Amino acid sequence: MTLVLMLATAPAWADDRRTPYLPSSADVVLQHVPSSSDPRVRQFDLLREDVRRHPTDMPSVLKLADAYIGYGRSTGDARYLGRAQAVINPWMQKLPIAVPIALTHATILQSRHFFKEARTELKSILVRDPGNVQAWLTLATVAMVQGDYPTANDSCVHLANVGGDFYGQMCTAQLRALTGHAQQAWVLLSLIENPGPKAPVGVKAYVEGLLADTAKRLGNNDEAEAHFKAALQLTPGDNFLLTDYGDFLLDRGRPREVIALLKDYTESDTSFLRLVYAEAALGSAHMQRDINDMQARFAAMDRRGSHVYRREEAGFELHLRHDPAGALKLAEQNWTVQRAPEDMRIYLEAAVAAGQPQAAKPVLDLLAESHLQDPPVNRLVDKIAATRTPDDGEVASRGGAQR
Amino acid sequence: MKLARFFMPLLLLGLASVPLPAFAHKESDAYLNLRTDPANDHVLKGQWDIALRDLDFAIGIDSNHDGAITWGEVQAHRAEIERYALARLAIKGDGLTCAMQPTGQKIDDHTDGAYDVILFDAVCDKEIPSKLTVDYHLFKDVDPYHRGIITVHTARNTAGAVLGPENPTTTLDLRNPDRWGQFKSFVVDGIWHIWTGIDHLLFILSLLLPAVLIRRRNDPRDWPGTGRGLLAGTAGIGALASARPNAGYHWEAVDAWWPAFLDIIKVISAFTVSHSVTLTLAVLGIVDLPSRLVESGIALSVIIAAGNNLYPIVRQRVWLLAFAFGFIHGLGFASALSGLQLPPLAMAASLGGFNVGVEIGQEAVVLLVMPIAFLLRYTVFYQKVVMRWGSILIIVVAAGWLIQRAFDVLIPGFSALLPK
Repeated sequence: MTLVLMLATAPAWADDRRTPYLPSSADVVLQHVPSSSDPRVRQFDLLREDVRRHPTDMPSVLKLADAYIGYGRSTGDARYLGRAQAVINPWMQKLPIAVPIALTHATILQSRHFFKEARTELKSILVRDPGNVQAWLTLATVAMVQGDYPTANDSCVHLANVGGDFYGQMCTAQLRALTGHAQQAWVLLSLIENPGPKAPVGVKAYVEGLLADTAKRLGNNDEAEAHFKAALQLTPGDNFLLTDYGDFLLDRGRPREVIALLKDYTESDTSFLRLVYAEAALGSAHMQRDINDMQARFAAMDRRGSHVYRREEAGFELHLRHDPAGALKLAEQNWTVQRAPEDMRIYLEAAVAAGQPQAAKPVLDLLAESHLQDPPVNRLVDKIAATRTPDDGEVASRGGAQR
Repeated sequence: MKLARFFMPLLLLGLASVPLPAFAHKESDAYLNLRTDPANDHVLKGQWDIALRDLDFAIGIDSNHDGAITWGEVQAHRAEIERYALARLAIKGDGLTCAMQPTGQKIDDHTDGAYDVILFDAVCDKEIPSKLTVDYHLFKDVDPYHRGIITVHTARNTAGAVLGPENPTTTLDLRNPDRWGQFKSFVVDGIWHIWTGIDHLLFILSLLLPAVLIRRRNDPRDWPGTGRGLLAGTAGIGALASARPNAGYHWEAVDAWWPAFLDIIKVISAFTVSHSVTLTLAVLGIVDLPSRLVESGIALSVIIAAGNNLYPIVRQRVWLLAFAFGFIHGLGFASALSGLQLPPLAMAASLGGFNVGVEIGQEAVVLLVMPIAFLLRYTVFYQKVVMRWGSILIIVVAAGWLIQRAFDVLIPGFSALLPK
């Protein structure tokens, strides 16, 4: 979509804050890029060479695309999604698109938060290939992110049928944790905590991460922390785990540890935001500078027309720029795309802070259905229920009664 | 083990689907800023910031693969970066492609890392255009989610667009459609085109030289004794020149200014009418002749026009000669506007302006030359030296062009005279 602006005066972003400069010497390091000492980068070279030599060999193409997606996922660098898409692009011209190519495309779509498009793609894959394990797993995941629990449940059942116990259990556990059965989820996850010596380290770390999350929902913070640490030991530097653990530490009032955890990962916007929260909690001298930097990052994403981080932006507006009305607006927009517990939380926080608890009705409605167990979310629901008049308090009390 | 089998096809994909924000960097952007230059109306100052990590991925900047890109490595790749990037960008001012000239390299820090800065001039044929078209294809083949964020600054306003592989082109209004301004700028172009196009000038000059003279059959009674004949034939060289090729005719000065002046205006206007027709047809792409044929035809027309001053074929109706050859000159003018693609109204303003400019340029030549010719019309210098030897010189030069153009050979010395 083209965004063409005719402006009488220059908008703020058009005013270049930065001035190009000449570095002082040839030895100045300007940018860190993946180095060939990283085995994954050497792997890229091999896979690229493979694709160059056999451009019509689909397995080679898929391997390279998946390697890009995997690297992007662990480092958080979204550029690798585009690079993966470029690899499969020639294959998407050949209709009907081959199932494995369509599946990779769906993965890229959901990673870029194009959830609706991802679901359409996944459903059409499953019509052609109902036994596709990955498609059911991805569909279940997307449905859970969007708060569509019936679809998620259906997908988990199919996944168990075609993919076996391990994936079925993992899927069901995730769903149970979101629908008021965190204790069951905990038991299910405990059963698959050790997937065996041959399982890739990433799988083990993923299960550890789910255990940490579930323990958190149950209020077992010591247990949660142990699993976060175990997961990070398996995949150090994993962007998703770092931010999740960072949030956990912030909630526990341990900002110093957040800074120690994230100070080397400031390239990642999500990690950097947690770092700035920690700085704010400590009243750090860098706080204002880093708030400005974070704002510039959001502005840069805005300029390209990307709104993947509305949840993060809402939190930023609420907690660091103290603009509850702006935060609520962002949270509402975010709600149209994703409805995970984190999305509920910021929506409720913003609505309470803005003095508009009634604005959070969509969240309360979903909670009334799902009975999510999540201490911060449940506390917010209670707070809203307490401020309500008896007339309209019914919805809130149902949402709040689930703890 | 049973479980491990499941992991094999799902190795990474299975884990890419995490229900939480897995990606935490902005995707790839580049920032293209264009500024009008107050000192030079034809130049847009370009600044193009491209992320080093993107360039490294596309063409390899980290020469020693140590994972750290230094300023030295960036400098070493300057030519390669400029070649790669500028080939994937086209800027058009009012439909005409601007030439891209890199002028420098710097570094800029953005929120997601260091960017290489390509400084360049976009040199456009037109003065600050009212419409700027940007055609953007950077990283199209390596990252379809790359976006080019375009900002154009003029003295008066700022316009912007976000471009990517799915919508690579945008047209930005720098000014409100200023048809009058566009018309004027093309008028200037037309004038310059005539004044710098020596072949067109020589054609007009050939038509202009005899305008202050009238061709008369020699009255046998006048030859050689009468006063008028004496006056005309006093100088030996003049007698020689007039006697040999055209025995039986001689040139006589006109008496009055206005009839002669109006006559030449008529001739030049006939030329304008016909070249306007073919210029329009050629720019609209309706007529397309090989330029070698057109350029040769123009050279030939100059030879014939000058030759007509020595061996008159067309006498009374010189405007017909001008009209006929106007068609071929019009095709030549079109080369100045090649690639012009505009919406109909803008096209009309541009073409109309250019034609008017050509006409003004021609009339200016007439206004400059005619009074001098009129003053000198009685002199032997004018009637014999300028008229006769001037025409011969024009024929020699045009013949050189004709040979060069028609046979695609290079005659030493002639290129200097040729219009670019």
